[in-house]
Amino acid sequence: MDGFTLSRIFLNLLIATKWTLILSVIAFIGGGLIGALIALMRISSNKIVSRISWIYVEFFQGTPLLLQLFLAFFGFSVITGVNLSPLVAASIALTAYTSAFLGDIWRGAIQAVPRGQWQAASAIGFGYFDQLKLIVLPQAVRLAIAPTVGFLVQVIKGTSLASIIGFTELSRAASLINNVTLQSLLIFGLAGLIYFALCYPLSAWSQQLEKKLAYK
Amino acid sequence: MVSEVLDLFWAAFWRRQRFVALFMASFFLTVGIAACSGEPNSVGSKAQITPEDVAKLPIQATLAQIQESGQVKVAVPSDFPPFGFVNPRMQPIGYDIDMAKEIAKGLGAELEIIPVVGGYRIPFLQTDRVDMIISSLGKNDERDLIIDFSEPYAPFFSAIYGGPNAEVSQIEDLEGRSIGVAQGSLEDLEISELTKTVGSVDIKRYANNSLTASALVSGQVDAIATGNVVAAKLIQDNPTKEITSKFVLKDSPCYVGVREGDAEFVAKINEIIASVKQSGRLNEMSQAWFGEPLPEAIANT
Amino acid sequence: MSYSFDFSVIWDNFGVLLAGAWLTLRLSLLAVAFGLILGITGSLFRTSGNRLLNGIALAYVEIIRNTPYLIQLFFIFFGLPALGLKLSAEQAAIVSLAINFGAYSTEIVRAGVESIPKGQVEAGLAIGFKRLDVFRYIVIPPALANIYSSLVGQVILAVLFTSVVSQIAAEDLTYAGNYLDSRTFRSFEIYFTLALLYLAIVWIVKAIAYLIEVRCFEFAKYRQ
Repeated sequence: MDGFTLSRIFLNLLIATKWTLILSVIAFIGGGLIGALIALMRISSNKIVSRISWIYVEFFQGTPLLLQLFLAFFGFSVITGVNLSPLVAASIALTAYTSAFLGDIWRGAIQAVPRGQWQAASAIGFGYFDQLKLIVLPQAVRLAIAPTVGFLVQVIKGTSLASIIGFTELSRAASLINNVTLQSLLIFGLAGLIYFALCYPLSAWSQQLEKKLAYK
Repeated sequence: MVSEVLDLFWAAFWRRQRFVALFMASFFLTVGIAACSGEPNSVGSKAQITPEDVAKLPIQATLAQIQESGQVKVAVPSDFPPFGFVNPRMQPIGYDIDMAKEIAKGLGAELEIIPVVGGYRIPFLQTDRVDMIISSLGKNDERDLIIDFSEPYAPFFSAIYGGPNAEVSQIEDLEGRSIGVAQGSLEDLEISELTKTVGSVDIKRYANNSLTASALVSGQVDAIATGNVVAAKLIQDNPTKEITSKFVLKDSPCYVGVREGDAEFVAKINEIIASVKQSGRLNEMSQAWFGEPLPEAIANT
Repeated sequence: MSYSFDFSVIWDNFGVLLAGAWLTLRLSLLAVAFGLILGITGSLFRTSGNRLLNGIALAYVEIIRNTPYLIQLFFIFFGLPALGLKLSAEQAAIVSLAINFGAYSTEIVRAGVESIPKGQVEAGLAIGFKRLDVFRYIVIPPALANIYSSLVGQVILAVLFTSVVSQIAAEDLTYAGNYLDSRTFRSFEIYFTLALLYLAIVWIVKAIAYLIEVRCFEFAKYRQ
């Protein structure tokens, strides 16, 4: 189709990338907050609280992200009669998804801190939350940073699925343009390039952090 | 590589790690079976859906609602040129979008365009995300159970297309001529069926629509049988060839879809469609997007 | 607005859902099988010391790991025909899933191979093992044991990724669910059931993986 020059296509894709980034940030921040809660619940000595957290994580790790998006977009509207826009539905689904995975990563990091640290802190007289805040978490954070940054890459890739419920981010823009010009190699190649430009720096940084912060 | 694997397999078996051997055997067996069994497992043909299964979502009195809010939401195709697609500024354009604008004008409401992917048209209507569907929607019995249709507003038909020297106006005129068609397409089935009674029609079957179109342009066949959407692009890309439709093979026009039972709304929409036809505006749109005037079947309803 | 749940569409069409699940399993299996071959080859490239081979494998891994699977699938399904390679929906699904799994497993297998101390290889050679036997009896078993859980995790991800192929009309479980949903609008019942089915599939995979681990990697417990 005339009018769709290479630069025009690239420009349109870049404009749509803005939404990819917005959704990623929403999911990462929201997911981070909830994920922290999930992690704390999981290490709780209260069996019920721990169980609930476990079920939550199992659900989001054991079902496809696409399905979670469908539940948020279609399932929610059919039950409650309230139609969520693609942005809101995608935000909810991705936030929940991120929170489950981050919660699991952070739980792993906390549990990797030797039990002795907890006991020593308790012996000094710290209460549970002080043990957590002052002794355990600082050490856990060191272990958690690399996988957390690595997961940010997964979140950005995950936003591509939001295109399926109609959210106009990079992948959807690519699909729309593809249906008009049918230059699939070019268009999806460009889209892939943009995603690569977003994700590779983060991946590389994550690997660097892994090397720097690993306990020897 | 295969001999190494077999070696490992044999070794595992003899060292009493039979489980490993069995696992490997079943793994490759399953892979083999999985690779071979490729029967077409069409979900569409096997699904059993009764009217009771369909969720009954409450109907809003859409016409009153629209007049009150002053806004109408319409589902249009996002990826089906020339009915609905995007221009280089990523704005929705197309025949259906123009139609939506006309209807919104007739309703006196502000238009909100919602591009959807084909499979989600009806679900969006049912869940009240849109008030109507203007998206190359064809009518069939299955859909009639769930939604209501207006009068036809857009052409979607298969016809015989040819240049000025292909003077055919009915099936019998095809005798002794060569007709190109896309292998296995609807037009293929139609033309094969219809020409059974006519002698010596040379039907050339091409692998796809593009090849069929080029066959006509390069003069390899006298005429082709294809859908009007494909023809639209063909006509647009080859203005000097003066390709026109000779006669229609099969007509399955497009309708506006609304929620079931909303009779008042359908009546109003039909009113608007009729006036758009009369004023010649619909013909204008057809010329602009399809490169040919509105077929009589629609213009005269 | 109250919504009355009605699972009858599920019961009536359970066969359709299972047929879709069957395709999901077949796709996953083939993807893992071919992907593992790609992964092992890739890890050999990466550890070969040859800069060209290493570079090719590294490029492969980084490109796949830093782009979304949806784009990879569309690239293969819509883009390759322009180069003359037209694949059916199922074929494109298998190819793209295998390539995706292969990239991740390249890194996983490489990590496993590199985790074996050189001393083990030297000791084996010193005793009189041939190079190939060293690889087979001394390097591979502990390497496999080390990476086993990562590999299983990746397999599970592959199974979940199959849901994306529904977008190119490969008739997997998600496609079956979408089809039923678009005609009955019982979105919640359908997608909830799909969620349970996927969870079931994942748990079965984990169970099989656990059985294999217990049977094959018992020796790993005794290592330091």
